Amino acid sequence: MIKKVLVANRGEIAIRVMRACQELGIKTVAIYSDADREALHLRIADESIPIGAPPASESYLNIDRIVRTAKRVGADAIHPGYGFLAENPDFAQRCEEEGIIFVGPTSATLRLVGDKVAARGTMQKAGIPIIPGMTFVGKGIEDFRKATSSLGYPVLVKASLGGGGKGMRIVRNERDLKNAIAAGRREAKSAFGDESVYLERYIEEPHHIEFQVLADKFGNVIHLFERECSIQRRYQKIVEETPSPTLSGELRTRMGEVAKKAIKAAGYTNAGTVEFLLDRDKGFFFLEVNARVQVEHPITELTTGVDLVKQQLLIAAGEKLALRQEDISQRGHAIEARIYAEDPTQDFLPSPGKILYLQEPQGPGLRIDSGIYPGCEVTPYYDPILSKIIAWGETREFARRRLIQGLKNYAILGISTTVGFLIDLLEHPQFVEGQTYTNFISKNMGGWRPKGNALDQALMVAAILSSEAPTKPEIVAAQATSPWQELGEWEICGSGV
Amino acid sequence: MEYRFVCSGKTYRVNIVADKEESWQVAIGDGKPLRVELITSSSGCYSFLMDGEPITAYAVEGGGKVYIFVAGQSFAFELEKGRARGTSGREVARGSGNLVASPMPGSLVKLLVSRGDEVEEGQTLAIVEAMKMENELRSPIKGVVRRVNFAEGNQVDALQPIIELEAL
Repeated sequence: MIKKVLVANRGEIAIRVMRACQELGIKTVAIYSDADREALHLRIADESIPIGAPPASESYLNIDRIVRTAKRVGADAIHPGYGFLAENPDFAQRCEEEGIIFVGPTSATLRLVGDKVAARGTMQKAGIPIIPGMTFVGKGIEDFRKATSSLGYPVLVKASLGGGGKGMRIVRNERDLKNAIAAGRREAKSAFGDESVYLERYIEEPHHIEFQVLADKFGNVIHLFERECSIQRRYQKIVEETPSPTLSGELRTRMGEVAKKAIKAAGYTNAGTVEFLLDRDKGFFFLEVNARVQVEHPITELTTGVDLVKQQLLIAAGEKLALRQEDISQRGHAIEARIYAEDPTQDFLPSPGKILYLQEPQGPGLRIDSGIYPGCEVTPYYDPILSKIIAWGETREFARRRLIQGLKNYAILGISTTVGFLIDLLEHPQFVEGQTYTNFISKNMGGWRPKGNALDQALMVAAILSSEAPTKPEIVAAQATSPWQELGEWEICGSGV
Repeated sequence: MEYRFVCSGKTYRVNIVADKEESWQVAIGDGKPLRVELITSSSGCYSFLMDGEPITAYAVEGGGKVYIFVAGQSFAFELEKGRARGTSGREVARGSGNLVASPMPGSLVKLLVSRGDEVEEGQTLAIVEAMKMENELRSPIKGVVRRVNFAEGNQVDALQPIIELEAL
């Protein structure tokens, strides 16, 4: 079994991974950039090592430094989390060469599925339906123009090494093509260190449905049902749920089998996700394999009772899957809402700053995976995810109501967050009915502003506090709260699962 | 007593009269006054009765603003002072119309114009990246670039003028 894991990530996912390690009796090593000296993941780890300057390219993406650090501290495995180096085949290969266990698939598999273009080719050969589009990386503008002449507009510019929507651009006419490709390349280069992009047909109003899969090194593959991830902004998920309100039992079974077939075709091992787009006629197309633990993995954990991160570690250690397909069933319904440091009134503009106040909700059926604490600084360098709140309920409606109640008691002050927006989204009649398409936000939530009655109440509170401020020590106390004073409370509120 | 709060560029008037210990009459704008009573408060969490209805609010002050979370929504209010104020960065960036600034701190990844260039309204002038997302800065006017204060690769603060324009 693995003895010591270096977690090559930060924020809530680093903490999630460390918790799984602790439960398995594995020692943990945190790495951190100069911007993260006071980050929460350092407090959870057994040891913490500085890794470089704030820009990700000099720290969390610095393969050489991370691998050397792992060797120096005697870590026998590296868990990459999601984002950063999670799906970087060079990183996995370097680990293989240095005799370090990479918690994920092999570098060869990563190279195949991480290269969306190559993966599309492989899936097509295995008889799995793919979205019409380029099956090669575009070089000059002529390559892209030629592709659009057969695909027609709108098309989607996608990063070949993409994920999480980075580098993705929708193009509705020829005029915007060149700029969109340039912007996509820059963003891809910054996020993944590679600027390859290609074009795919843009499917209007699809459902985004993905299947969670576990595959060991002995050829055993199981799926743990789907996640409906259609609620997105900037092609990035913000609310996910399982089971999908859209799938019939028959379609669920069929897609689950295709997902397993895709994983086998790719020779994939460890935890992975097969993403599909489901069109209006319930036709489904292979989108990509996400070769990592997903941000939204908790909803699968809450409904199946399987700890996916522990499974990742066991599989990476070379153990055989103890679970068979017939062991896996879903109980109830789970919904996750992602809390980002973004201003939903300004088109989700990133909102870095200091968290002046934090009060997390509690209650039955609520799980919070968080990377923040009161007083912490949210820097502009990394992905703006702060935390995730996940509600489980016997039914979709109970889970939805629990999640709303949780969000209504999730006070994060000092920066803009998506909390208020998420409440109104979850209360939207279309969401209540399960009418979740990838354009849900632009269609139903455009121009969102907090409701007037909340503003009125806030104004009254502001007036009372302003008139009382000098004599109210509580306000000052909250402001002066140091993260260390809050630590005890934090551990209780944030212990998750 | 009247307070003027600024939130997202809008000003709101609130009138407040203390009517007894921990109880106030509060009116928004010209609206009807509502009775608000403070029930308990502890570490930034406040329980009020607003016209008899129980409300929980969380509040904290910082950087000259008061932040309030109530009914699941959060707000940042600045007190509008009666006296004339110095020009803040925000007013420079928004008010004069010929300064182009990033609404967020980040890295200036692309500078698409240089001094003397003529630009159209809506033309992309620069791209600032923060938290891995690109944000295009467009020209608010048709004009000529008079000054460029940063170079590609520089870090810029929120509302710091990057490009100065002169209207045509």
